[in-house]
This record gives sequence, structure tokens and C-alpha cells, in this order.
Amino acid sequence: MKKKILIVEDDLAIAKLIEINLNIANYETKKVMDGLKALEIIDEENFDLIILDVMLPQADGFEVMEKIKHRNIPVIFLTAKKSVFDKVNGLKLGAEDYMVKPFEAIELLARIEVVLRRYGKNEKVLNFKDIKVYLEERIVKNDGNTVELSPKEYELLCLLIQNKNIALSREQILGRVWDMSYYGGTRTVDMHIKALRQKLDLGNHIKTIYKIGYRLED
Amino acid sequence: MKLWQKLYIFTLILFILIFNLAGVIFIEKNHNASLKREVNRCFNEALTINSGVDTSLPAFRTLDRYIDLLDFNRRIIYKFADDYAKKSNGIYLEILDKKNQEIYSNVDFLLPKYREEINIQKMNERRTIIREVGKNTYIFITNLIEINGSIFKLTYMRDISSIYEQKKEQYDFFFRLEGIALVVFSIFMFFISRWISKPVKELMRVTKRIAEGNYHERVNLNTKDELGILAQNFNLMAEAVEENIHQLEKNNLEKERFIDNFTHELKTPLTSIIGYANLLRTTKCDEETFYEALNFIYEEGKRLEELSFNLMDLLVLRKEDFKKEKVNIKELLIQVKKVMQPKMKEKNIEILIDAEPSEWRVEKNLIQILLSNLIDNAYKASERDTKIYLNLSKEKEKMILEVKDGGIGIPKEHLDKILEPFYMVDKARTRANHGAGLGLSICKRIVEVHGATLKINSIVNEGTSIKIIFNKKEVEIDESENNAATID
Repeated sequence: MKKKILIVEDDLAIAKLIEINLNIANYETKKVMDGLKALEIIDEENFDLIILDVMLPQADGFEVMEKIKHRNIPVIFLTAKKSVFDKVNGLKLGAEDYMVKPFEAIELLARIEVVLRRYGKNEKVLNFKDIKVYLEERIVKNDGNTVELSPKEYELLCLLIQNKNIALSREQILGRVWDMSYYGGTRTVDMHIKALRQKLDLGNHIKTIYKIGYRLED
Repeated sequence: MKLWQKLYIFTLILFILIFNLAGVIFIEKNHNASLKREVNRCFNEALTINSGVDTSLPAFRTLDRYIDLLDFNRRIIYKFADDYAKKSNGIYLEILDKKNQEIYSNVDFLLPKYREEINIQKMNERRTIIREVGKNTYIFITNLIEINGSIFKLTYMRDISSIYEQKKEQYDFFFRLEGIALVVFSIFMFFISRWISKPVKELMRVTKRIAEGNYHERVNLNTKDELGILAQNFNLMAEAVEENIHQLEKNNLEKERFIDNFTHELKTPLTSIIGYANLLRTTKCDEETFYEALNFIYEEGKRLEELSFNLMDLLVLRKEDFKKEKVNIKELLIQVKKVMQPKMKEKNIEILIDAEPSEWRVEKNLIQILLSNLIDNAYKASERDTKIYLNLSKEKEKMILEVKDGGIGIPKEHLDKILEPFYMVDKARTRANHGAGLGLSICKRIVEVHGATLKINSIVNEGTSIKIIFNKKEVEIDESENNAATID
């Protein structure tokens, strides 16, 4: 079942941007433009996660947070306010994370995933075509047959599936799979992509995007 | 040492010094006067004895005419001294011959061995010595007397101990008195010095509190003396400081809010632009999303453009080097109307001008910006098929320019903040018009440049009237300028 995420953001352009990105990442979304409407819709529907702006008309993000605390829905603040005070205030109120604008879609998706995992709400199995990735067992099966992957190949595969249809630059891949401390160069990424294409027969699906990196496509 | 302690100790020391000095001087003077009186009395008595010897000499001679001359003289003097000593009380006489052989003495105390006064040589000399013998004090007066050619040394002595005893008694009394006075004085002075230094203590307490940051603290003193005035002045100073601090805090808050808002206004469009651009370059998306994304990039880019122009205006307006010139305001109003006309047609709004031709000294471009900003606001607030009024009127010392609409109005709670940069009554509506909430801030600055005031009257759902009230002095054209213009 798709996870449902509420976007509370008074700037239409940004709300829409988040929505498009979340939809691509296979989340169901609802968006509202002010604090009061957010409270109303939270009363009516169930959400797995809320992305909440701070500077909102009617009722600001901190007020909304205060009122929905008891529902135990994970909240990520997304705001232009970057002072430490605001950050601490947001986290103290019980937010799971705090992101400052301008943000990158891939970072937002990663953080959403982390928060959902913390709440035990995310998938235990990733699916792509005939490939199944059992996250708890760390087993990859292609059409029912177990495929042996090195640890880095396994993580790379997860990253690609989770960001399906989104192009990832080699630098982003390096940062997520190998950590920032790794200085092996982007050649390593190419080698692992090559290995994945071979082992899982993904030659047609992992596209090389000119000047950017790779994208997994249906 | 504390002030009151200083005050206390120094007055105490001073008191002891002066009291003692005065007492000692008084007692000593008193004593000297008594002594002098006593010495004078003794002199007189000694003189009486001397002259007594001379006057009684003939009588003695008739009595003892057969006696040997030398012996006779001794007997005369002995007899005389003996008579005199027996008659008078408290005096002692001693008569010595030239070789200091005693002829007569009724001294009943032990005389000192060396007595310089008996070395007397000259006839009309007299030696006086005050000398302590045993427990008592005696005065010794010695002179020579001649009887029938023989010289004798007559010493007159008197016990004057009582004068010294008197002095001692006076000192005793004085020290007892001083003791009591000192106790009384020190008790009173303790309270007095604490009382005098109390305002200083209060001042000290308050200054400390203020230094700690409690700027509202004041000194509470009702005395009319210098300390009272100091406290008053101090309070005035504290008030000024508090006001300044308050103003600084306010400015700081305003600046903070400006920067907060500015970053927000800058980041929001940037977030969209970068986000959509990234979306387009990394994702395979359908046509609808593709055009939607492009549209957002365009719209948000326009918003940034608007923001940067407005900010430029605001920055330029801070420099304050404007050339005011003679402008016909009515013509200017007509000109602005012309410029705004195409936009007005979109909602079929009519601009009506009610003005007499009049010339003011203003910065033309700024007034143009001001008017178009206000008309633009009025336009945004107005429904279709309505009117916007531009009125020009004169009052005694004022020139008034008014922009009036029949639009949605401004809710009361926004009125005092509406002139602040980035303040928006309706964020969504402002955004939809690419606004950043800077228009009225710019108007406010322009009005300030002209030394005028801006007055907003608004009723929700009935309309808004914004009046720019110029001082006649600021915008009036000098006669000299007018003449110069005609001569040209």
C-alpha cells in the first residue's frame, strides 16, 4: 500500500514541487496551504507523515505541531527559517526532522525514508519488475532466484529502486552509498552499475543520463 | 572604608582633638591667671616686708642703743622677721647674711641644698622661683636689704600648692566631662552619618541594578539637598538610557524581522526555481508536469525580478540626495493615470482625478513611483467595474494628496504593520501578483523624503483612503524661484 503524506506549505510552487517529487517516489500526497486547513484535514484523514512549513497563514507550523502532537504522526519541518533557535524549537516540539529551504528533492526523500523506517512504516520489501529486495533479510531475488551481491552493490540497488525514475548523479550516489569519506572517485560508481546491470539483467532499465549520472526506469 | 564610617571616624577624631585642645588651653590659661595673681600677691607682701624693715629701723635704734653695731643690725632684722612671721599666716621668712649664714628662719620643711636665688648680688635685683618641695609647691622671692650698711638676704616663701591642686581638679573634671561628651557625641554621630550617607547607599544599589541590565530601575529619594538633585538627574539619565536601549532593541528587532522576511522572500522562489529545474533535468515526466514546472520557474523568476527591483528602490531611497523641482501636480496625476490605464482596463476600473492645477516642489520620479504604487494597491483591492479617486486638496498649512478606492479594505489589526517591509495582509493574493510586500515601505520612504506624513483610513469591504499630507513649507515654491523662472 502506498504511504500517504500531507504537505502543508503556503507557497503553491513549492507545494506542487514537493508533491511531484513524492509522487515520483511512489507516495500518495495531499497538500494544504494554511495551518487551520492542515488541522482540519489531519482530523479527517490518516497520514503516515506530515511535511510542515513554519511560516504559515492562520496558524503557524509550531502551533500546528503543538496541536497534533498527541496523534503520533511523524513530522518533518521544511522552512526558510534556519536559526538554531527555530531548529531547536521545532525539534523540541517533537518534530522528527528539520529541513531548511532551499532543499534538494533527493535529500527530502532520503529523510522521509529514514523517518518512516524509524516509525516502522516503510516497506520491508522493495519491488522492481521481477526483482524483490528483502530489506530485513538483506536478500535479493530475481524472478524467485537468489542473486549474490556485494554489500555496496546491494546498497546501490536499494538506492536506485527507492529513487526510481529520478536521475542520481555519481556524486550523490557516492555520498549515499560510500559516505562522504570515500575518495575512490566516480569510476567506482560506474563499476558497480556495470555489475548490477549484468547480475540482474538491468541493462535496459538503468539508463545513463548525459552529464548527470544514472536513472532506474520502468 | 565606607562613606559613613569615614564621616563618623573623622568627625570623632576632630571632636576629640578640638575638645581636648580647647579644654587644655582653657584650664592652662585659668591656672596661669591664678598663678599670676598669687605671685603678684606674694610680690606685694615681700615688698611690704622690705619697706616695713626700713620704716621700723629708727624705732629699733632707740631701743637698743648700747649694743654693738654689727650685732645690732642682726638683731634688728631677726626681731623684725620674727614679729612679722608670727603676725601673718602661711608665709615663711628666711634671712641670711652675706656669707649665707642663717640669721632667721621659720621654715618647717626641708629646703633643697642648692638654691640659686641666694647668690643674688645686686641691691635692686629680685629673684623669684617656684619650686616643688616634697609634695607642695612654694614660691621663693629673694632680695637684698641693707640695714645701717650691712647687707642681708631676705627670702620670702609661701605655699602655693592650692593653685596646682585646683588645676589638677579642673583636669580631672574636664576628662570626666569629655568622656561623657564623647559617648553622647559618638552615639548621635553614628546615626547622623548613617542618615547622611543613606541616599548614597540607595544610589549605589540602583546603579548596580541598572548596570545589571534592569533599565527600568529608578532612585527613590525625596531629599531636597545636592544628593536629592543628583538622584533626580540620575533618574533623568536612566530614563534617557532606557529609552535609547528600548529604541535600539526595537531597531534590532525590526532589522531582524527585515532579514528574516528577506531571506524567506528570497529563498521561496529560489527553492521553487532550483527544485523544478532539477526535476526537469533528472526526471522523465509527462508533458503536463513538464509545462507546469516551466511555468513555475518563469513565475518565480518574475517574482525574484520584482523583489530585486523593489529592493533597489528601497536602497536608493536610503541615500537621500534628491533634487526637488517645480512640478505641476495635476499634470503629474494625469500622466500617471495614462501610464496605469492599460492595466486598469483589465478590470474595467476608471481613475477619476479631482484637482486644481498647482505647482509643488517635489522629486518628480519619486512621486510618480509613490502614486503608481498606491494606485496599483487600490487596483488589486478593487472589484471589476469600480472607480479609483485621486484627489488634491489644500488646508491651512497642508497640501493633501489622496488615493481612494472602494475595495476590500484592510482589517484593523494589520493597519499598524502594513508599512513594514515584507508585510503582507493576504500572502496568497500578494504572491499571485508577484508582490513581496515592499510597495508600501517604498511609499513610506518617499513620503519621508518629502517631510510628509502618510495616513491610512480603511473600512473592511467599503474601501481604503490613503492620504499623503505635505507641509506647505516643504513643498511651496519660493517667490524668488518663481521670479527667476519668469525672467528666464
